[in-house]
Amino acid sequence: MTEDSQRNFRSVYYEKVGFRGVEEKKSLEILLKDDRLDTEKLCTFSQRFPLPSMYRTLVWKVLLGILPPHHESHIQVMTYRREQYSDLLHALQVVRFVSDARPQVEVYLRMYQLESGKLPRSPSFPLEPEDRVFLAIAKAMEEMVEDSADCYWMIRSFVNQLKKKYRDSLPQLPKAFEQYLNLEDSRLLSHLKTCSALPLLPYDLWFRRCFAGCLPESSLQRVWDKVVSGSCKILVFVAVEILLTFKIKVMALNSAEKITEFLENIPQDSSDAIVSKAIDLWHKHCGTPVHSA
Amino acid sequence: MAQQTNIGELLSMLDSSKLGVRDDITTVFKENLNSDRGPMLVNTLVDYYLETNSQPVLHILTTLQEPHDKHLLDKINEHVGKATTRLSILSLLGHVIRLQPSWKHKLSQAPLLPSLLKCLKTDTDVVVLTTGVLVLITMLPMIPQSGKQHLHDFFDIFGRLSSWCLKKPGHVTEIYLVHLHASVYALFHRLYGMYPCNFVSFLRSHYSMKENLETFEEVVRPMMEHVRIHPELVTGSKDHELDPRRWKRLETHDVVIECAKISLDPTEASYEDGYSVSHQISAHFPHRSADVTASPYVDTQNSYGSTTSTPYSTSRLTFNTPGQLPQNLSSPSTRLLTEPPQATLWSPSMVCGMTTPPTSPGNVPPDLSHSYSKVFGTTGRKGTPLGTPATSPPPAPLCHSDDYVHISAPQASTTPHKREERTDSTRPCPHRQQHRPNDRGLEESHSSKGSVTLSDLPGFLGDLASEEDSVEKDKEEAAISKELSEITTTEAEPPVVPRGGFDSPFYRDSLPGSQRKTHSAASGAQSATVNPETLNSSLDKLGPDTPKQAFTPIDLPCGGVDESPVGTRECQTSLEMNILTPSPYKIPPQRGVRFGSGQPPPYDHLFEVALPKTAYQFVSKKTEELFKKAKGNTEEDYVPSTSPMEVLDRLIQQGADAHTKELNKLSLPSKSVDWTHFGGSPPSDEIHTLRNQLLLLHNQLLYERFKRQQHALRNRRLLRKVICAAALEEHNAAMKDQLKLQEKDIQIWKVSLQKEQARYNQLQEQHDTVVTQLHSQIRQLQHDREEFYNQSQELQTKLEDCRNMIAELRIELKKANNKVCHTELLLSQVSQKLSNSESVQQQMEFLNRQLLVLGEVNELYLEQLQNKHADTTKEVEMMKAAYRKELEKNRNHVLQQNQRLDTSQKRILELESHLAKKDHLFLEQKKYLEDVKLQAREQLKAAESRYEAQKRITQMFELEILDLYGRLEKDGFLKKLEEEKTEAAEAAEERLDCCNDGCSDSILGHNEEIYGHNGETKIPRPGSTRGSSGSRGGGGSSSSSEISTPEKPPNPRAGPFSLRWETTMGEPSTSIPMTVGSLPSSKSFLGMKARELFRNKSESQCDEDGMTISSLSETLKTELGKDSCVEAKTPLNLDGPHPSPPNPDSVGQLHIMDYNETHHEHS
Repeated sequence: MTEDSQRNFRSVYYEKVGFRGVEEKKSLEILLKDDRLDTEKLCTFSQRFPLPSMYRTLVWKVLLGILPPHHESHIQVMTYRREQYSDLLHALQVVRFVSDARPQVEVYLRMYQLESGKLPRSPSFPLEPEDRVFLAIAKAMEEMVEDSADCYWMIRSFVNQLKKKYRDSLPQLPKAFEQYLNLEDSRLLSHLKTCSALPLLPYDLWFRRCFAGCLPESSLQRVWDKVVSGSCKILVFVAVEILLTFKIKVMALNSAEKITEFLENIPQDSSDAIVSKAIDLWHKHCGTPVHSA
Repeated sequence: MAQQTNIGELLSMLDSSKLGVRDDITTVFKENLNSDRGPMLVNTLVDYYLETNSQPVLHILTTLQEPHDKHLLDKINEHVGKATTRLSILSLLGHVIRLQPSWKHKLSQAPLLPSLLKCLKTDTDVVVLTTGVLVLITMLPMIPQSGKQHLHDFFDIFGRLSSWCLKKPGHVTEIYLVHLHASVYALFHRLYGMYPCNFVSFLRSHYSMKENLETFEEVVRPMMEHVRIHPELVTGSKDHELDPRRWKRLETHDVVIECAKISLDPTEASYEDGYSVSHQISAHFPHRSADVTASPYVDTQNSYGSTTSTPYSTSRLTFNTPGQLPQNLSSPSTRLLTEPPQATLWSPSMVCGMTTPPTSPGNVPPDLSHSYSKVFGTTGRKGTPLGTPATSPPPAPLCHSDDYVHISAPQASTTPHKREERTDSTRPCPHRQQHRPNDRGLEESHSSKGSVTLSDLPGFLGDLASEEDSVEKDKEEAAISKELSEITTTEAEPPVVPRGGFDSPFYRDSLPGSQRKTHSAASGAQSATVNPETLNSSLDKLGPDTPKQAFTPIDLPCGGVDESPVGTRECQTSLEMNILTPSPYKIPPQRGVRFGSGQPPPYDHLFEVALPKTAYQFVSKKTEELFKKAKGNTEEDYVPSTSPMEVLDRLIQQGADAHTKELNKLSLPSKSVDWTHFGGSPPSDEIHTLRNQLLLLHNQLLYERFKRQQHALRNRRLLRKVICAAALEEHNAAMKDQLKLQEKDIQIWKVSLQKEQARYNQLQEQHDTVVTQLHSQIRQLQHDREEFYNQSQELQTKLEDCRNMIAELRIELKKANNKVCHTELLLSQVSQKLSNSESVQQQMEFLNRQLLVLGEVNELYLEQLQNKHADTTKEVEMMKAAYRKELEKNRNHVLQQNQRLDTSQKRILELESHLAKKDHLFLEQKKYLEDVKLQAREQLKAAESRYEAQKRITQMFELEILDLYGRLEKDGFLKKLEEEKTEAAEAAEERLDCCNDGCSDSILGHNEEIYGHNGETKIPRPGSTRGSSGSRGGGGSSSSSEISTPEKPPNPRAGPFSLRWETTMGEPSTSIPMTVGSLPSSKSFLGMKARELFRNKSESQCDEDGMTISSLSETLKTELGKDSCVEAKTPLNLDGPHPSPPNPDSVGQLHIMDYNETHHEHS
């Protein structure tokens, strides 16, 4: 009740008319005011609405478990995190595994490897595929977050979430993609099938890297909002929407290699629209997430 | 080949005399042609025709259908190239074209046309040229727009041939030239009619050259006098007249008529309404008034043709009176001055006609003869050997007279006289001879008419129809002739006749005077072809005739002839009568002769060539009179069979064939005598010439017939228009009738309307009276009503007054009632008071009595009281008091109890609330605790992760260190070993001073042993190298926590070692070894135990507080007693230091001392 009294009584009306996000910031602020943050509510919020950029980092940190739900311990925990970060960095520097010359992304990777105990004996060892995924995500995240320690922690948690939480659902996504594409545009799907491009689609880029490097960061943030808040299905809809948007060009292409090549380097100018449409599509097919979830 | 022979046979059969066979063969050929598309059959037919001149073949060829036209044209083209077959092929082409085949438009594209033109430009044979030109003239209207690319060819041909007419190159016979001239004239007309601008410009350019000037003067200019200015010269242009759009809407006959329109030549000219209407009006009346006599023909026409023109004729009759003479005379004289020679020619006869009293026919002959003589004179004058076509027609008089005879013969007895006289005057011809032809001519004229009509009605073939027609014609003619006779009797009609001039002028003029008659005959033949058509046209257009006549003044002598039936008929008859030329009218009998005698067909072609010649000769020379008579007899013998027109020309040829035969029979000398008259040319030549001439005539005839057909076509169209117009007029009349009827209706309606109006007025009046009555009634009633109204008003005022009175009365009544009530009330009050006072009085009495009684009782009681005493009262009083006190007491007690209860209850409530508060507090506390726990857990998690990270870092460092060690070791393991040994020896020496060597040995072995076990716990070599006995400490440090390792550099360790030695020496159970043992690695056996023990305390504390190790060991020591394992350890701990310093041999104990070792063993 207290929340409702603070909110604008027109908020319901705003949403009906189609102004989104007028009250979202306020409601998010209300959510963030709680001591002991309710992560479930934050999840639902971030699934329903786009996060305001000024709170995105905080919400992500909370949702990814980098920060505890208690405000009191935030500072302390953050100092721990920072120390851990600096320790790791220091250690790597001590053993001369990293240097200032190396890109920050690689430093993050080494740190992550060190933490997970998978640091190779020599920096010159070839990178594993999952390391490449990490690098892509890290690169995208680096654009989004300024502070390097925060950045490292968010990358680490994001990757861990992908590895642990979505370990079972990620392999299912191509199938779901096929299903939803069939619902939206069966002709396109049949075209892809005839070209036998379906198995060659950049699933790795789409679902393992979560479109890192495929979409510009501004659009990617909105996708990752959903991923961070616990829904990896949005990735499917973004992929479907990409295909729908570039349907004409894809239909014009006949070989699987060309289609794949095109999809891996889609033009960036319409990415915002793609993401918006994809979210709409996601809401349409999976329903708007409710608080109870 | 078989087929070819077959064809040959068929062809020969085609000319068989049996009609049935011929028809069959013809159908066979036609079927063949329908089925076969190849050129072969057509070629064969053409060849065969060229060989035999077979008529059936010609028929087949002329009716060829579409796919074969190309072959035919190709074949013709091929033959045109050859000089030998050129003539016959041209005549074939003429036959074909004249029938206007459906593929005529292809002619322009066919190669035939250029080759024909080339032939016309190059050929020198007049016969060929004439034939070709005629073909070309026939062809031109069919291909008006497509022929334009050859326009200059046409003009060149015209130029060439016109110059020929004058120059007569080579050996050309003059007679031929006449033909040529005629055809050139026709070509002139055609070209001028079709392409006036181009043609005129050509003339201009061509005849501006000096060498051509003479030709122009002599040939072209006279031609030009026979044409009017073409309107296109004014409105059109060179391009416009070549414009296909101009030609698209014109059919062939339209083109022909267009050409005829601009002609002033009677043989060519044609007048139609729309073309010269404006002229009619302007020209009609002046001429009528000025020279009625100059156009007597008009009058006859008018009287004959239409009723409307009768006034004029009557007026003319009056004009014809002698009184009018001067005027009439004067007008011709004026005309003489102004008009061309033609007019002057005719003026005398007109004058004559006028001078003669109209009523007396007897006077006519001399006049006529006079006129004729005059005409002859003029023609003689005019008829220059060069023969300009513009001159007046000399044979006209002949025809004239004959016509006149013919017309008047049936009725007027005077006519024979006239005729005879005339013939006498003109020709020294025997009476009888003249008579006979006349009679015959009369007969034949009927039959010929029949044939004429037939020719125009293609549907008819049989003789029956022709007979019927002839009957009708007879009737018609009878009526016509009747009228004519009337006219002739009443009027001096001679001028009607004059224009025998319908003959084309060329013939007359080109010939010498002596031969003129023959020419006239020829021209008669020519005109005869025109006649039927003109007759028809005149019959068709009786109405329009008059306007045409009005136009005649300009070319009066000639113009009327062609168009008026009378004139034509006259001409025909005259021709027949005078000259026994092969006129069409004679032919039917001749054919009859031929068929009757069963002459073989193969001769036909011979006849055709030969016949005209003889006829011609006969007429000109009048030497064959006897023969002719015989022929005439034969002709008379046979009933004239009605034959179709197409047979006519054939008959000309065939009929003439007889002449040839006869001629051949004649002795050569006689012939030569006759022929030398022509200029001494040899007889064979002459025959040839005559043959050619016949051919030319034939061609000319065919051409004229073609023209006639075009005219017929047009006439039919015009007739349709007339019919339409008539229908429309009738329609108009019907409409007018209807209109009248409707007007009548309207009038009836008007009358009825007036009636209705009257009735309406009556009704209105009635209505008005009723209305006024009603109005008066209303007024009365209104008056009554007003009265009533006033009465009611009065009554109402009265009623009001009454009401007021009633109200007042009621008020008064109320007041009275009130008063009554008041008094009643007062009354009751008074009565009540009264009763009260009564009851009070009674009570007073009662009370007084009671008072008395009580007083007595009181007195009594006082007495009793005084009697008894008060003994018990004290006790009772005491008891009462006691009771009261007791009661008081109890009451207080109860009060107290109640108060206590209240307080206790309050207390309970208080406590309960307190309890609830506490519970709540508890809950909150719990929650808080939970929260704090969570917080702590989160923090702990962060710390743990940090710890984990630290662990990883350490591991990495260790790895790094070990790696480095490994490298170092590799470098100088052996060397170091030796050094070690030496060092060890030195150390042993040193140590031997203070203790025994075994110690070092044991240490060494221990070192080695550790090295062997070196998996996780590697003993830092520096330690082992520096302190021989520091191995234990080193081992301990290595197994201790990670933090401790870096914090324990070798230097501090050296201290402890020495210390340890001291302590081991001094105090066996110091805490130092304990510290070593108390810090085991987490994986070691002891470490695990210790962790169990130290669970209460945070590990971090344990890890971090390196300084508090001793205190920890203290606490450990205190608790050692409880744990058995620790118990076992403590002796070890105690033992460890103990035996080692004193017993250097106890390596096994040292061995046991190593926790890691034990741990390894356990694991």
